[in-house]
Amino acid sequence: MGTERNESPAITVENLTVSFGTRPALLDVSVTIEQGLLVGVVGPNGAGKSTLIKAILGFVKPDFGTVRILGEDVDRAKGRVAYVPQRGSVDWDYPITVYEVAMMGRFGHIPWWRDPGPEDRRFANEALEMVRMADFGSRQIGQLSGGQQQRVFMARALAQGADILLLDEPFAGVDAATERAILEVLDRTRATGKTLVVVHHDLATAAEYFDRLMLIKQRLYAYGPPEVVLHPELLSEVYEGKLKAFSLLARAEGAR
Amino acid sequence: MTDILFQAIVAPLRETFFQKALIGGSVAAVVCSVVGCLVILRRMAFLGDALSHAMIAGVAAGYLFMKVLFATEAHAPAMLVGSLIAAVITVASIGFVSRVSRIKDDTAIGIMYTGVFAAGVVLVSVFRNHIHIDLMHFIMGDVLGVADHDLWVSVLAASFVLSVIILFFRQFQLTTFDPVMAASIGMPVVLIDYALTTCVSLVVVSAVSMVGVILVVGLLITPAASAYLLSDRLDRMMVLAALFGVTSVVGGLYLCMWLDSAGGGAIMLFCTFQFLVVLVVAPRYGLLARWLRLRQMVPQQLVEDILGAFSRRIGVPLSLSEMTGFVSDETRKLARGVKSMVRDGLLVPREGGFVLSEQGQREANRILRAHRLWETYLRHVGMPEAELHPRAHQLEHFHDTESISYLDDLLGHPLRDPHGAEIPANYAECAAGNVCSVSVLREGRSGVVESVPEGMTDVSLKPGDKIVIGPRRDHDAKWTLRRSDGGTAILDHEAADAFLVRVDSD
Repeated sequence: MGTERNESPAITVENLTVSFGTRPALLDVSVTIEQGLLVGVVGPNGAGKSTLIKAILGFVKPDFGTVRILGEDVDRAKGRVAYVPQRGSVDWDYPITVYEVAMMGRFGHIPWWRDPGPEDRRFANEALEMVRMADFGSRQIGQLSGGQQQRVFMARALAQGADILLLDEPFAGVDAATERAILEVLDRTRATGKTLVVVHHDLATAAEYFDRLMLIKQRLYAYGPPEVVLHPELLSEVYEGKLKAFSLLARAEGAR
Repeated sequence: MTDILFQAIVAPLRETFFQKALIGGSVAAVVCSVVGCLVILRRMAFLGDALSHAMIAGVAAGYLFMKVLFATEAHAPAMLVGSLIAAVITVASIGFVSRVSRIKDDTAIGIMYTGVFAAGVVLVSVFRNHIHIDLMHFIMGDVLGVADHDLWVSVLAASFVLSVIILFFRQFQLTTFDPVMAASIGMPVVLIDYALTTCVSLVVVSAVSMVGVILVVGLLITPAASAYLLSDRLDRMMVLAALFGVTSVVGGLYLCMWLDSAGGGAIMLFCTFQFLVVLVVAPRYGLLARWLRLRQMVPQQLVEDILGAFSRRIGVPLSLSEMTGFVSDETRKLARGVKSMVRDGLLVPREGGFVLSEQGQREANRILRAHRLWETYLRHVGMPEAELHPRAHQLEHFHDTESISYLDDLLGHPLRDPHGAEIPANYAECAAGNVCSVSVLREGRSGVVESVPEGMTDVSLKPGDKIVIGPRRDHDAKWTLRRSDGGTAILDHEAADAFLVRVDSD
């Protein structure tokens, strides 16, 4: 698009603390994510991964600290960040078609008194084509496979025209072939200059999929290239020596 | 005959009270059903019930307020405003209780609305000499006694609510479907929630005079639920729900005339009946459709049993009766299974029965491979000979690639099962162009070396060399490779696993 190139980092998080009740879900997290990267957020269950995503979206208010999107305060950057929800949090029985979901990405651009125009329809259709779901436009979303469902929500995020995409566990509960297909969409999206932040649970594939990894458990333990972050000592600290993490790591290293 | 029909259908239409009931009821039903769509998608049906009950306190308070201050009886606008205030108080206190305590939403709703309802009942009974409200009328509704001012209230509320829903359709749609995204693009989610709650209060208030406190929640959700079973888009669901709402009122009113019953009851009875019909016959989400789908579904186990039957009789067409010996299910199911397999391209009809298609052959091999590997495994863990086959026949249905590859590797990639029958190779893994371990390839396959395990310098092979797989040695525990220069390399299990080859076509 014809907007001027903003050189600020995609996401700047400074001393972010978010709590529900007395225990902070995130404590003093500071991280700077440059533009055009595919970033994986890893950490054990309940480590605050989803909370971080919601804070970057501006959906939860931080108790302390700031989030800036492309150099602007998160409250003023509404719509520049698109969100792909976890599959489990979507009501798949909702009476809505694939095309309508993609069109939802445009809602932030349409004034409330107007109907979606040809421009919006073009954006929605292009986004569906990008994720190869254009042929399913009139399907109800519950009648899709897991990978297709994930791609529809990717299309919605793309139609939004946002520079930053946040994805919550896009690979949860899909088979290996589907995982590949989704990853391919992510790669193509990154190639258009967008920044993607992906919550991910599988350490074994993390090194292969992402440019940068963010290891969190309440606090930020590491952010950087996978070979730095997937350090056995760091992992044993974060995963508290749980056997599973080590066997996964061994597999990841064996694969390389 | 025509006379009876005339009496039953046209005659009531001439009565003013019936006309008013039709108009008032339809207006209320349309707007109830449309709002009801959002109510059921947000799972707040119980809240509709709560609001209708809370109303009575508001009506009584509004009545008293006007009577005390201006000495006017039954001032309709005041009672309407009172109802809305009562609704807002109820919603706010529900939110408060569930937010500040461990009490969950549904319990909070139950507590607060019965509380407010009780306050209304007490108020009405204490001031029964001053308030001329018939509690029964309020609870049961009186659609046939709709007064003109009720009609006007209904029409005004309906047009207001419908305008709001149409104008802000996208906002309601998105906040209902995905509030997180709605907030992220800057939609005022909380404000929209309040707007919807206000709309629900308004429609409930306008419908209570027709069908009564108890039944109003039905008018809110039942037509919407019927429409839900029939539509895949929210806008169509709303239109359909409105239609069902109107048919409920029309049908219910006639029912009430013919049976001389209570109006509200008749309307809701008709509405519920309508829902039950839709529940049964809905083309996609109905019970009938579901039953048909289940009936047509052929169990995977049956398909695999049939494939198993074929893989033991290679090349010979099998008739239905010949298959029965291999299959535990009854013949009727078998015929349907075979039919669906023909449709899926696994079987091809031939003279004297059916034969496997190429795809069917592959599937059959996969299951045969699973069966024979399971037999080998059972032998390996020490199961007596006689039990091998029946147990493996059960276990062969676990044939996902990963499990079978594990068994194969564990058993040292055996070539034959305990009965000496050949175990088919994994077709998908060994397909031409794939890179795979030497250990899974059978004798005679050829390929190009992709990578040689570290520390294996003695075989003098490097990536890019052409090789052919030779026969196994030492009780199938050693793999042999023929190099293009005529030499032979010998690999043990571990080396053969690590030795990767890009496979040529057969």
